Amino acid sequence: MHFTGVPLQTLIQIGALAGAAIVVFYILKLRRRPVAVPFSKIWQKILRDKEATSLFSQLKRLLSLLLQLALLALLLLALGDPRTAANLIEGRNIVVLIDGSASMKATDVGPSRIESARERVRAMVRGLSGSDRMLIAQMDAAVTPLSTLTGEISELEAGVAAVKASDASADFARSLRFAADTLRGLPSPEIIVVSDGALSEAADAAGPVHLGEIKLSYVPVGMRAKNAAITGFSVRRYPLDKSRYEVMLEVTNTSDEAMDVELSLIGDGQLTDLSRLRLNPHEKLPRFYPNLSGASKTLEAKIALGDGTRDDLPADDRAYALLPERRRARVQVVTTGNMFLEAALLLDEYLDVTTVDPAKYPAKGAYDVTIFDGVTPSVAAGSGSLLYLNPTGTNVPFEVGALIDDEVGFDELDAKSPLLRYTALSDVNIARAHLLKGEKDDKIVARSFKGPLLIQGRRAGVKFVALGFDVRESDFPLRIAWPLFLLNTINEFVEEDVGYISSFRTGTVWSIPASSASESATLELPDGSKRSVPIKDGRAVFLGQEAGFYKISTGTPQPGAAEDVTMFAANLADPEESAIAPHPKLEVDGRAAGDVGELKIGVRREMWVYLLLAVLLVTMLEWLTFHRRVTV
Amino acid sequence: MSAFSGRRFRILAWSISCIALLGILAWAYRRYVLMHPDPTIAWVRYGITYELLNPKMLGVILIAPWFVGVLSQSLADLPLPQKILSVFLRVAFVVLLGLGLSRLARTATTEKVCTVYLVDVSDSIADEAIADARALVDHAWAEKPKDGIVKLITFARRPRLAEPNEKEPEKAPTIERHADAKGERGELGAGTNLQAALQLAYGLYPSGYLKRAVLLSDGVQTDGDFLAEANRAKDFGIRLFTVPYRRPAPPEVAVRDLRLPDHVKVGETFEVHADIYASRATTAKAKLYQSEALNGLEGIKDLTLKAGSNDVVFKSVVRVKGATTYKLDLEQIAQDRFPENNRYATTVDVPGRPVVLYIEGTPQHGQPLSSALTAQQIDVDMRPPAGFPGSLKELQRYDFVVLSDTPKEAVSIEAQDLIEQYVRDLGGGFLFAGGESGYGLGGWYHTPMERMLPVRMDNERKKEMPSVAMSVVIDRSGSMTGLPLEMAKAAARATVGVLSSDDLVEVIAFDSTPTRYVKMQPARNRSRISAEIARIQPGGGTEIFPALDAAYQDMTVTQARKKHVILLTDGRAPSGGIRDLVSAMIAESITVTTVGLGGDLDEQLLKMIADVGGGRFHAVSDPTNLPRVFTKETEMIARAAAVEEWFPVTQVGDAAFLRGLDIRTAPNLHGYVSTKMKPTPAQELLTSDSQEPILARWRVGLGWALAWTSDVKSQWAVEWLRWAGWEKFWGQLVHEHMRQKHTRELDMKAEVVGGQLHVAVDAFGADERFENNLTSSLKIIGPEFKSDELDEAKDAKNVKQVALRQTAPGRYEATLALDKYGSFLLRAEHKHEDKDGLLRPVAVSYGHVSNPYPREYASFEPDLVTLEKAAIVTGGAVDPPTVAAVFDPQGEKVTFHEELWPRFIYAAIAVFLLDLLVRRVRLFDRKFIPRGGPRSRAPRAA
Repeated sequence: MHFTGVPLQTLIQIGALAGAAIVVFYILKLRRRPVAVPFSKIWQKILRDKEATSLFSQLKRLLSLLLQLALLALLLLALGDPRTAANLIEGRNIVVLIDGSASMKATDVGPSRIESARERVRAMVRGLSGSDRMLIAQMDAAVTPLSTLTGEISELEAGVAAVKASDASADFARSLRFAADTLRGLPSPEIIVVSDGALSEAADAAGPVHLGEIKLSYVPVGMRAKNAAITGFSVRRYPLDKSRYEVMLEVTNTSDEAMDVELSLIGDGQLTDLSRLRLNPHEKLPRFYPNLSGASKTLEAKIALGDGTRDDLPADDRAYALLPERRRARVQVVTTGNMFLEAALLLDEYLDVTTVDPAKYPAKGAYDVTIFDGVTPSVAAGSGSLLYLNPTGTNVPFEVGALIDDEVGFDELDAKSPLLRYTALSDVNIARAHLLKGEKDDKIVARSFKGPLLIQGRRAGVKFVALGFDVRESDFPLRIAWPLFLLNTINEFVEEDVGYISSFRTGTVWSIPASSASESATLELPDGSKRSVPIKDGRAVFLGQEAGFYKISTGTPQPGAAEDVTMFAANLADPEESAIAPHPKLEVDGRAAGDVGELKIGVRREMWVYLLLAVLLVTMLEWLTFHRRVTV
Repeated sequence: MSAFSGRRFRILAWSISCIALLGILAWAYRRYVLMHPDPTIAWVRYGITYELLNPKMLGVILIAPWFVGVLSQSLADLPLPQKILSVFLRVAFVVLLGLGLSRLARTATTEKVCTVYLVDVSDSIADEAIADARALVDHAWAEKPKDGIVKLITFARRPRLAEPNEKEPEKAPTIERHADAKGERGELGAGTNLQAALQLAYGLYPSGYLKRAVLLSDGVQTDGDFLAEANRAKDFGIRLFTVPYRRPAPPEVAVRDLRLPDHVKVGETFEVHADIYASRATTAKAKLYQSEALNGLEGIKDLTLKAGSNDVVFKSVVRVKGATTYKLDLEQIAQDRFPENNRYATTVDVPGRPVVLYIEGTPQHGQPLSSALTAQQIDVDMRPPAGFPGSLKELQRYDFVVLSDTPKEAVSIEAQDLIEQYVRDLGGGFLFAGGESGYGLGGWYHTPMERMLPVRMDNERKKEMPSVAMSVVIDRSGSMTGLPLEMAKAAARATVGVLSSDDLVEVIAFDSTPTRYVKMQPARNRSRISAEIARIQPGGGTEIFPALDAAYQDMTVTQARKKHVILLTDGRAPSGGIRDLVSAMIAESITVTTVGLGGDLDEQLLKMIADVGGGRFHAVSDPTNLPRVFTKETEMIARAAAVEEWFPVTQVGDAAFLRGLDIRTAPNLHGYVSTKMKPTPAQELLTSDSQEPILARWRVGLGWALAWTSDVKSQWAVEWLRWAGWEKFWGQLVHEHMRQKHTRELDMKAEVVGGQLHVAVDAFGADERFENNLTSSLKIIGPEFKSDELDEAKDAKNVKQVALRQTAPGRYEATLALDKYGSFLLRAEHKHEDKDGLLRPVAVSYGHVSNPYPREYASFEPDLVTLEKAAIVTGGAVDPPTVAAVFDPQGEKVTFHEELWPRFIYAAIAVFLLDLLVRRVRLFDRKFIPRGGPRSRAPRAA
C-alpha cells in the first residue's frame, strides 16, 4: 500500500489536528438545558436512572467519538489516494488494439460496433487489477496509441473515449508489430484485439508477425452481415478522345441473402442514372458507363436497399470520384513553319497554340510547353517544358551527334514510355538524323542501331524531350503515330495523363501532385477541416483515412493571383472491408487467440472512491444513531 | 387528541417535504446528469473549463432527504436553529463528497516538456555516427530541465524503448545496435523504419507534458512513410527535431541495379548494365553468372570504381528459351562493409527459340540454310512449296518466312496473300531468296510478291519487252526425213513449251532456202505455233547462211532482253560468210547455239558458230534426244536474267544485323538474279559488282520484307557456305527481322515499394477503348527458380498466384508483400468470357522485379530533404542548437485536467468538524428562555 495523493506525513498532521478537535468536542459537555420537574419523586427516579445508565451512556459517548474518528480516518485515507503496491507485484502489461477500420462502423450491434468495442474495453479498464498496466491503441491504416502504458484508469478511459472508426481498412500486421515493440521485455505481456475480425493476414513485407511469448486474446464484436457495398468506383478519360470518359462501378453483396439494390449516379449534384439491381448472395457486379461526356466534375454513387431498409454498414454505400477539368495547355511553337507540326497540334482542342518566329522568341506570356522546331535559341523564362525537334545547335541540354545520312529507323523502342503510348514506330523511315546523347539519368526512348534518336530528361526541374531528326525528312508525319507522339509528349509535360485515376484509396499514403515550388500545401478534408501537408518532389504526402472529396491548395497566393486549388476524391473501395461478417475466431502466426478471462468488471482500483462511499454510509448511520440517541 | 393529530400532521408534513425534496433531487439528477448527452459534464467559467468526469456519482446527493427525514424523529437535545444548521452542514458534507466522487476537474496549463530521443542504429549507420548520437543523448540527459522528462528509443527495423540502467537511473540508457536475446544481431539492423519509431514514441508521453521528439538518423527509410507519419505526429502535438548524421558514409560498394533489355531473344547478343555504387574510389572483381554458370561472353571483369555511381557493361547471349537469371557478384573489394549488397540478381523471361518457315523449291538442297539457322538457335520448319500453310493462324506460329527458289506456279495466290498479310498485319519477317526459279526466272514478275519486295524484277526501260526472243532454225533437208524431222519438230514444240508466254519465238526451217513456218510471235499462242510447226515438210539441200541470216534479220527488229538462235542441222553446208554473220549477230547480243544430229556433220563449222555466237554446241547422235537438248538449251536462255559469274559482294547500306560481320571477308558469289532497287525507303544493303542488289529490305506494314537475289544453296552461294560468317549472317538477319510478338501483350507496370509489390496492367482494346471484365491472374515466380518450373508452375513452391482486381476502366491491379529477396518473374494472363461462358485467353503481360537485398544496404547518402521537411511540418527544426532549445516550450502550453476531488475532501473535513461543533456545543438558546406555551413532549435529559 502506498499513497499517491497527499503524503502520509501531511495526512498524519491533519489527522492529529482534526482528531484533537474532535476529542475536545467530546470532552466539552453539552450544556444541559434546565428542565423544571414538577414532581420530586420523578426527579428521584431520574437520578436513580442516571446512576444506572451512567456507564452505558459513557459507552454511547465513546462509540460516538470512535465513529467520528473513523469518519475522519476514512476521509483522510481517501485524501491520501492509497494504492496497492504495484511495484512489489509484477502485473500484466496489456496492449489493447481496438479495430478502427470502416467495418467497425457497422450498426448490427447498437449503436455501432465501435461503440460496442469501446464499451467492452471500458469494462476491461475497470477490471484492471492494481499492478496491471494497459495501453489503448487504435488500429486502422496506421496504429495510433491513445494512451501511455499505464495503470491510470482515467487516462485509459480517456483513450477509449478517443477511439474513432475511420474509412480505411486496418493494418493488422503493423498494429501487432507496434504492440510487440511496446511489450518487448516487459513481464506478462498480453495483446487484446477488439475487432469484428475482418482483418488482413498478420504478415507484411518482413514476413509473418511472430508474437513469441506474448499472450494474444481476442474480443469479437458484431453479430451479422447484412451489407451491400460499392466496392469500386472510378472514372477514366479515353486515351484518344479525352472529352469522353468511362465510369466503373462495382456493387457487392457481402451477405448471405439476395438483395435488391437501388443504385444512383450523381454528377455535380444532379441525378444522372438510377438503376435497380438484384444481387445474389456474395455477388460482385461490375457496371460500366461508357462514353459519357459532359462537364460533370464531381461524381457520386449511392446505393440504397430496394425495400427501404438500411444495411448494417452505411459507410460503404457511397463512393466518390472526380473528373478533373481539362486544363488548356499553353503551347509555344518556335518554328519557321512546319505544316505537319501545326496540323498535328490542331487535333487537340485543349491546346492553346502560339506560333512564334524564331527571331521573335520568346513570345509574351508564360507557357506550359515550348516546341523548338529546328532551332535552339537560349531558353527564356516561362517557356515551360521543352520539346526539341531536330536540334542542331549547341544551345541544348544534351549533345547533338554527327549527321547520319543513311536510311535509319527506330530499331529499339521503349515500348513502356508514355511518349510512345498507342504508337507503332518500328516502321518509320528516316532519311537523315542526328544522334542525341543525353546525360546518365536521361532516358533513351527510341534509338536506331546507330544511336539514340529520341531522348527524355530533366534539367533543373525543366523537363525536355528531343527528337533527332526533321520529321519532314521521314515518313513519320504521315502516320497517326505523329500527332499521338506530340500529344503524348504534351500530356507528359503537363501531367494530364490517361494514367490519372479518379480517386485515391483510403488507408494508403497518398502522393498528391502539387506544385513543386511550394514547401507545403493546405488540404481541406471532406468534413471541412483544413490542415497543412508537406510536399516532397512535387507531391503532397498524406495518409488519408476518410472517404469523400478533398481540396488541396498550394502556395501562398500572390496578390491578385488565384490560389492553385485542385480537388480529388478518396474511397474505401475495399471488398474485404465491406465483408462485415464477424469472425468468431482470430488466428495469428498459427496460434488461435484466446478469450479475455481475467478482466471482469470488478473492484475499482481507486480506493478513495470506496472510502468516500464508506464515509457516506457511516455518516448516514451516525446521523440516525445520533438523532435517535443511540450514540451521543 | 389534538397533540396526536398535530403529531400526525407533523409526520405527514415532514414525509411530504422529504419526498418532495427527494423528487426534486431525483428529477434534477435525471434531467441534468442521466439525460446529459455526453459522458462528462463540462462548463466554462472565467475562461477555465470545469468538467465533471464521473457525473453519475452526483447521485449520492440523493441521500440528502434522509438527513432531513431523520431530523423529524430527532431525540437530540438541540435547539431547533442548531438542528437546522446541523442538517444543512450534513447535507453540505454529502454534497461535497458527491462533488468529489463525481471528480470535478478543471483544465490547467503547464509548460513541462517530455522529449523522446529516437536514435537510428541501423546497419547503414557508421559507428562514429552512433558515438555522436551517444554523446548527444548523454548531454540531453544531463542538461534537461528538472521538471522535464526524457526517454530514449533506438530503432532499426523495429523500434525499442531503451530503459535506463537500474543502478544509475539518472544517466542516459546506453545506445547499442539491436541484438536478440542471445546477443546475435542477425537481420535486426537490416532496415530502417522511422515511422514505427515515431509511433512507438506516441505511447511514451505522459499526459500534462508538452511533446517533443528528437530524431537522429540518416533519413533513409526502408519501410513505412516517415513524412506522412510526421504529419500525423503534428496532430498529436509532437514537435519533431531532426539531427542528420553527418559522418561520411562507411567505405561501401553496392550493386544497385542490374539492367537487361526488355526483350531478349535467344541467340542474340545484348548488353547487361550493372549500376555499381561506391562510396569512395576502389577496385573490385565482378563475376556475372548466367543461371548457374559464368556468363559465357564476359564472365569476369576487374573493375576500377570511382566514387559514386558506376555503369559496368557485360555482353551476353541467351542460348535456351525460358527464364534466365543473371547474378552479379562483387568480390575482392578493397574497402567494403556490407557483403549483403555485393550481389544482385535479376531475371529475364526469354521467349522460345524463333521458328522459321523455310519454303524451298528444291528441298533436297535446303540443308545449308537450314543448318545455319539451327546453329543460330533458330528452329527451322522446311517444307516444299506444296506444304505452305493454309491459314494465317497456322502461319502465325512462325517468326520468319523464307521463300527460296520456288516458281510462281508452285505458290498459290492465296498463299501469296497470306504472306503479305503475315508481314503487313502480323509484323512477320519475310525473305525472298533467288535461284533458278527465283524472281523473274520463276515468273514472279507482276505478282503480289513483287509488290511486296524492295526490288523490281526487271528494269523500267525494258518494261514492255519480253525477256527472251528465240529463233529455232531447223534443217529440213532430205536427210532429215522421217524420225529426225519429227523429233526436230517435237524439239521445237518443247522449246515453245518451255518459254514463258511473253517470250517470243519463231521457227525457221531451211533446205537450200529458209522458210519462216512460225513467224516471230509470243509463245503463248502455243497451239497455233504447234500447228504451224507440224506443217514442216522435208525438202532438198542444206544452206545454213541464208537461214541464219533470216533469223538474224528477224531478231534485229525484235525487242527482247535475250535473243537466241538454236540451229539444228545434220549435214554439211557451205560456210562462206557465216563467221561474219555470227559476229554481226553477237554484236547485237544475239547468241547462237548449234545442235548437230547424226555422224555426218561439219562439226568444226558448228563449233565455230557456237563459239563465235556465244552459245553452245551439242552433238546429238540419237534424234529422240533432241527435245531434251532443246528444252535444256531454252531453259538456259530463259534463265538468262540470272547472272552466272563469280563476283564479290559489297556492303552499301548499314543495318544492325550486319554488326560484327565483315562483308569484305565474304567469298564471291556465283550468280544472282538481276533485279533493280525500288526507290526509298527500300534500302539496299549488299550489292553486286555491277551495282545490282543482292540484299535489300524495306518495311511492309508492321513487318519486314527482304530480297536476297542470289540463292541460299550450294549452287550460287557455294563458296559462302564455307564462309565463317555464313551462320551468323543468316542468324542475325532472322533475329532482326522476325516477328516481335506472338500474342497480344498488355503493358504491365511492376514496382517494389516498401517491400510491397505493386502490379498494374492497362488494357486497351483495338479501338482504344478500355477492356473491362477481364479475368486476370498474376503469377509471381521466384526467387531463384529453375526455368522448368515455369510450365509446371502450379505446385512449385516458389510460385504465388494472385488475382488482378479491376480497379478502374481498363486497369487491373494487385498488391502483395514480397517477403523474400531475389529476383521475381511476373506473368499475367488475361481471359475474357465468351458467349458460351467459357474463359478464353486474350492477352498476356510480362514483367520482372528485383528485390535483391534489404534496402538498408542500397543507399548510404543521407536523405536530408525528408528530415528537413518532417521537422518543418511539425514546427520543429533541423539540428537544434542546444538541449534547452528542445525543451523550450516556445510559448506552447499543454492543458491537462487538474482533478479537484481532494479539495472537496478538505472542505468536507472542515464541514464535518463544523458539524461536530454545532452538535456538541450549544450555540443557541444558551439562557434557556422558555418558549411560549408548554412543550407537548419533554425531551429527555442526556
